[in-house]
Amino acid sequence: MFTQTRGLKDVLTQQQEEEREHALRALLMRPLIASGDPDLELVRRHAEYLRDWFGREAGWNLQVERQCARLYKRPASLTDTSRGLPEFDRDRYVLLCLACAVLERAESQITLRALGERLLEAAADPDMASRGFTYTLESARERRALVGACRLLLELGVLGRVAGDEEAYVNQSGDVLYDVHRRVLARLPSGTAGASLIAATQPDLDFDGRLATLNDEYVPDSPESRRTALRYRLARRLLDDPVLYHHDLSSEELEYLSSQRGPMAYRLAQASGLTAELRAEGLALVDAEGELSDKHLPAVGTEAHATLLVAEYLARAARSDTPTIHSLHELAAFLRDAADRYGRFWRKDAREPGAEIELAREAIDRLAALRLVQQVENGVRPLPALHRYTIREAQS
Amino acid sequence: MSHSRMTAPSLHPSAAQLFSHVIAANSSYYRAILDVFATAKRQFRLHLRPDDVLAEAHWPDAAPTLEAVQHALGQLVEWGNLQAQPDTARVSTIEDFYRKRLLYRMSVGGEAVEAGLQAFSDTLARRAELQSVALDDIRARLISIRDLMSESPPDSAKVHGALRDLVHIFAGLSNNAESFMAGLARTIELQRAEVSAVMGFKTRLIDYLQRFIGDLVTRSSQIAELLLDLAPAEPSLLQIAAERDARNAAPDDAETNEEALSIRLDSWTERWEGLKLWFLSDGRERSQAELLRASALSAIPRLLQAISLLHERRAGRSDRAADFRRLALWFAEVPTDADAHRLWRAAFALSPARHLALVVADEKISANTPWRSAPGITVLPKLREQGVLPTRGAPPRILDRSRERAALAARVAQEAAQTEAARTYLATNREIRLSHLGRLDAQAFRMFLTLLGEALASQTNPDEPVERQTGDGTLAIRLIPLEPTSHAELETELGRFCGRDHRILIRRT
Repeated sequence: MFTQTRGLKDVLTQQQEEEREHALRALLMRPLIASGDPDLELVRRHAEYLRDWFGREAGWNLQVERQCARLYKRPASLTDTSRGLPEFDRDRYVLLCLACAVLERAESQITLRALGERLLEAAADPDMASRGFTYTLESARERRALVGACRLLLELGVLGRVAGDEEAYVNQSGDVLYDVHRRVLARLPSGTAGASLIAATQPDLDFDGRLATLNDEYVPDSPESRRTALRYRLARRLLDDPVLYHHDLSSEELEYLSSQRGPMAYRLAQASGLTAELRAEGLALVDAEGELSDKHLPAVGTEAHATLLVAEYLARAARSDTPTIHSLHELAAFLRDAADRYGRFWRKDAREPGAEIELAREAIDRLAALRLVQQVENGVRPLPALHRYTIREAQS
Repeated sequence: MSHSRMTAPSLHPSAAQLFSHVIAANSSYYRAILDVFATAKRQFRLHLRPDDVLAEAHWPDAAPTLEAVQHALGQLVEWGNLQAQPDTARVSTIEDFYRKRLLYRMSVGGEAVEAGLQAFSDTLARRAELQSVALDDIRARLISIRDLMSESPPDSAKVHGALRDLVHIFAGLSNNAESFMAGLARTIELQRAEVSAVMGFKTRLIDYLQRFIGDLVTRSSQIAELLLDLAPAEPSLLQIAAERDARNAAPDDAETNEEALSIRLDSWTERWEGLKLWFLSDGRERSQAELLRASALSAIPRLLQAISLLHERRAGRSDRAADFRRLALWFAEVPTDADAHRLWRAAFALSPARHLALVVADEKISANTPWRSAPGITVLPKLREQGVLPTRGAPPRILDRSRERAALAARVAQEAAQTEAARTYLATNREIRLSHLGRLDAQAFRMFLTLLGEALASQTNPDEPVERQTGDGTLAIRLIPLEPTSHAELETELGRFCGRDHRILIRRT
């Protein structure tokens, strides 16, 4: 009997740990979780633990309310260009921000047509026009861009569709009615200072200055707090980015890491269900199942297969001691050869002559996003972690 | 008041012209002139000359000439506001003698217009006041009417007076309630939720609810009771009132006495019905007092909604809309799409995490091994070759095996029959020498071998007789070995069987 009750307690503890890990991973993948998402329940249940953990390890602020949970996942590195929204370009971002501005002043419900009209007013601002942004809502392309922005807001939980169909709006044959969840909208911007405040107090900042000011955090001037801020920086990169290379770090960061990387990586990996991979050139937190990521390699599909082949090729080439830069055409030629051997498993349009340039470009983008290669002027240069992809066959 | 028995008063044919001065081009001048006449009337001066008008009026701009005043007066006579008669006073100059001299006074129509305009401005200017004392007064009057009517004959003068007061108070009460509720009903400011508007609304509503509605609930039930008590005396009450009214009224050619009485009776009945409708429901609709209370109560949720909207706006930093607009401007200034992605991540921090996949299997790698020396990841062959994951495939279909099963069943039955035949053949229950067993067919031979095997196995030495049952308990065999040199040979379907001779007895158990 005694052993039985102890076993039950272990089971409950284990279940709690699993739930916490699940909630942590959910927040890392979706920093804004709104009601309707089953993970919100888990996050709310373990809100205190998660808030403590994120604050202690990465200095990230977590706010959990009844309607949404928001991890303000401020990035440590502001130079990564591959972390944007898929299929979004500059104009669509502008549209998204203007739509949010309109929704902020709206009541609890709005239709897509009314949103579009008020957007037109906001876009007719002379400031916007002087920067070359025009918006008339007359072409289907612009309406589709608005629908794209609304779809993102629907996914995030800022809007809730009540009735209607977005396709009908694009064809100008219908309308859509949305609920506006103002509390979720309020949690969207994550800068430490409001953009309008920055513009008012520091109007002469350039682009990089703006990025830095948006993420500026106050660090008190004592060695301890500087050390903590350093630790936060490292932890943020480990939790959010695929690989942390020593050659990207400053000397004090390197010094800290040389003694602390083992315990730190272990702590982060333990709580998030990842595995620490410590090597001479850097370290990475690796996901065994490959789920905690928006870009996957290896993966199913023609592009992923081509990327894997390119990774293998580059890894093999990198084994020789001379560091080389591989041009886009070289990789395209490799893929043309590979198409002979593997092409019958690829998509039909990927086998056509000339498609390999596009395939090579996509492969390079994906590898750069995963920090396995570095894009330089004439091509790509392999980075150390690419050697993981010298693939040995699975013993089946 | 829905129970009107009189037709609505039709507009007098000359009404349109009488009001023309209000919308004419120089309406301010006309108003100034008519104001003079109204003031003069209050001072009991009935006739005015143009000079007097020119001197006494408060002109909006510079004073006009005498000709202009006379022209305006002529126009007003044409419209019917004023009446003119010749001036017969003595003049002292020749020009005056030849000048057309007229005396002007206000006509009946003009007086009606003045009264109408006065009522118009009064009503507009009236602020919604709360009259909680009105309910008390109404109740007191009703009590006094009830007491007066219980005397016989009732004092008609007092009854009439009380009724007149009652109706007057009641008219004031209902007008005020109406305008107050109309003011409360406006929700435009509420929707925009400006703090000052919401606070004002809140104060007015709470005030009104406290002072008036509370009283209304208690008093209206008392008043309703009194009205019901008065119901039997109602017709005579109204008759008294109508009669006194008819007597008070000035005689008019158009009406006879009868008509005058019936018209007044109708109007009194109408007013009384209105009073009753306010406090008693007539079976189809709720009483006015209840409706008033309901609309006051419905203002409360609207107020709460406006307050919650204010509260929501205040949650978080101020003026997020300006932040979003500024971010839109910054996005518009961005040179490339790549930089737009950077701004997105810096300003919103909504990007998912990104990590490499697949753990390297070997764990005993030191932390200082370079990546190229460490083993790589293992990828499923199919994924590597074809870019697809091995599929589990579709589940097999369930085949129909009944035919095979039938065949098997037939075979089993056949074998059972053969075994039974073999048993019957072997289990003779007679002792017999092995060599005399005769030719055995395959099935019988096999069974015989099984029997023999079991029996011999339990034999401890070859010379020992042994008796044993088969494993399934159907047969028993007794083996008695003969001399070691004896020899038995059996011809069977499957071959020839040789061995030491025995005496055997096989029987069924």
